[in-house]
Amino acid sequence: MVTMPIHTHDDAGVITITLDDKFVFSDHRAFRATYHDRPPGSRYVVDFRRVTYMDSSALGMLLLLKEEGAAGDRSRIKLINCNDQVRKILDVANFVQMFTME
Amino acid sequence: MKILIVDDDPINRTILQRLLGKEGHEVITADNGRDGVDGYVRHEPDLVLMDIRMPGMNGYEAAREIKSLHATRFTPIIFLTAVTDDEGLVQCIDAGGDDFLTKPFNRTILQAKIGAMERIRQLHARLTLQKEELEQHQERVHQELEVGRHIFSHIVSAGHLQDAPCLNHWTSPMTLFNGDLLVASYNPAGGLHIMLGDFTGHGLSAAVAAMPVADIFYDMTAQGFSIGDLAEAMNVKLLSIMPRRMFCAACLIEVDHRQKSINIWNGGLPDVLIADESGRLVQRVVSSRMPLGIARMTREDRKVEILEMRPGFRVFLLSDGVTEATAPDGSMYGVERLESHFDGHHPPERLFETILKDLEQFRGNAEQSDDISLLEIVCDRASEEPKGVEEKRQRTAIPPTPWEVNFTFSAQTLKTVDPLPTIITAVMNLQAPIGHRERLYTILAELFSNALDHGLLKLDTRTKKTPEGFLQYYSEREERLARLKEGSIRLELNHFPRWNGATENEPSGGEIHILMEDTGAGFDLNQIHTQLHGNLGHGGRGIALVKSLCHSLDYQGRGNCAKAVYRWTA
Repeated sequence: MVTMPIHTHDDAGVITITLDDKFVFSDHRAFRATYHDRPPGSRYVVDFRRVTYMDSSALGMLLLLKEEGAAGDRSRIKLINCNDQVRKILDVANFVQMFTME
Repeated sequence: MKILIVDDDPINRTILQRLLGKEGHEVITADNGRDGVDGYVRHEPDLVLMDIRMPGMNGYEAAREIKSLHATRFTPIIFLTAVTDDEGLVQCIDAGGDDFLTKPFNRTILQAKIGAMERIRQLHARLTLQKEELEQHQERVHQELEVGRHIFSHIVSAGHLQDAPCLNHWTSPMTLFNGDLLVASYNPAGGLHIMLGDFTGHGLSAAVAAMPVADIFYDMTAQGFSIGDLAEAMNVKLLSIMPRRMFCAACLIEVDHRQKSINIWNGGLPDVLIADESGRLVQRVVSSRMPLGIARMTREDRKVEILEMRPGFRVFLLSDGVTEATAPDGSMYGVERLESHFDGHHPPERLFETILKDLEQFRGNAEQSDDISLLEIVCDRASEEPKGVEEKRQRTAIPPTPWEVNFTFSAQTLKTVDPLPTIITAVMNLQAPIGHRERLYTILAELFSNALDHGLLKLDTRTKKTPEGFLQYYSEREERLARLKEGSIRLELNHFPRWNGATENEPSGGEIHILMEDTGAGFDLNQIHTQLHGNLGHGGRGIALVKSLCHSLDYQGRGNCAKAVYRWTA
């Protein structure tokens, strides 16, 4: 079975990353590929609309995105469409301090 | 190649022997199945050419026996057969034959088949060798991990997780190494520090990062630092050693049975649950900080939640491996099911056990996907002495000598740091009366907080008598400390070696004179003395405690200068 776990859409330097229903460690290569080699200054929108479950390594991947993809700049990453479950996980880790949520 | 020919027909044997001999092969012969098997055992040939119909043991039987002798070594068997019907050929393969050659022999085909078999044999030999290497490698890795696990478990279990009477804990690592770090240790004042850390990932990488954290935990706890200090030091360490994607969700708890308080710092772990004496959930401490190892901590990030420890309280600390444990059908245990136990209808003393049983039942035979940890603090037992604790860190004791130290802490110092741990460590390095550290620490800590809380901050202990007052006291303390502009605390320590009679020149103990003076208004001495006994009650600062540990305790001046004498013998 071929799956497309992570979908990427580039709109004039704003890269929208739409995640699959589970955002876990096995996605790390695919996730990293979405921001690897993007021009400096790229902005990212991570869309959680399909995500029903994420684990702590997924939080680690978001940190990597911020560090490597956005040079640590909080304003260049937006996390959108987080459902309650996802929101809870982000809240417990207090990621609101690190990322912009919508 | 060494080739074994098994054939009862001497003419066939001779033809084959010549043919193969010319090709440079070494040839051994046997004229029946039994001798063929014996020859195989004795000469260990690389290839067997086997006739089928022979007196005694026939070719099929001989082939089966040869194949059964070595499970790992591959020796191809080529059947020599006159039959060409399908049935007969299938029988050859069933008996363990690898190929067959029909009579009369064709030289070219014989050579080709021998060549093909040789290729398969070499391939098999190479595979066997690789398999052996792989097995040896696995064995080596396993042994190294086993040694690592041993060292790891001894480093992290150096504390009092097992012997603190108030703790019940359960951990279930997913792999050989536990990615959940669960540690507990007493501080010098008898308070208990507990930490649960959950590293991103499992196994070896998590365990390696856990080691310095455990080290910091034990070291700083033994020196008397607060859990906020511990969290900050661990954070700094993890930031410097861990890769970006890794971090540690952690919760640190201090159980202070003298102050009747529970301090909690929660960065990224599930809610800490607090049940009352009927087993009902009365309070929860949600994660209000970021996990360790993500970003530098601010002053705000160090702050802890202070709870009042009421009789019958039980505190439950868990990793997300509990709530995210999965059943065979893939469903998760969940917060709701966990908290359903805290409805007041379950006997509180069996809550821990009940949760574990329910969790086990829920998980069934499903594969574990995360490390699982659960810990219970039974507050009523917090003041019980740990079982069989001995001084684990021995220091070289300097023979008792006279010395004197003097510290003065300004308001600016007092609002930035707690100077006590550093001072205690300095004193202990100067004179290390083994076994007296805890008592000395308690005396200094009590006198110091009296000087600060009452002398400089003018707080009233009586506020702490009610539950609301308890929390009010601590928020008031924080506010006043932040506003503190003037005043100071002076600590003077004088050590006098005492000679114990027996041998004139070898003092075996000494007397430490402690002077704690603050610039505050002082106490009404008479009131202090009448309150002495009542003062050990709810939330009371223990002047009586200090008195019980010291040879003597007096207040001088206007009651702003405590003078205690502590005697020790080695």
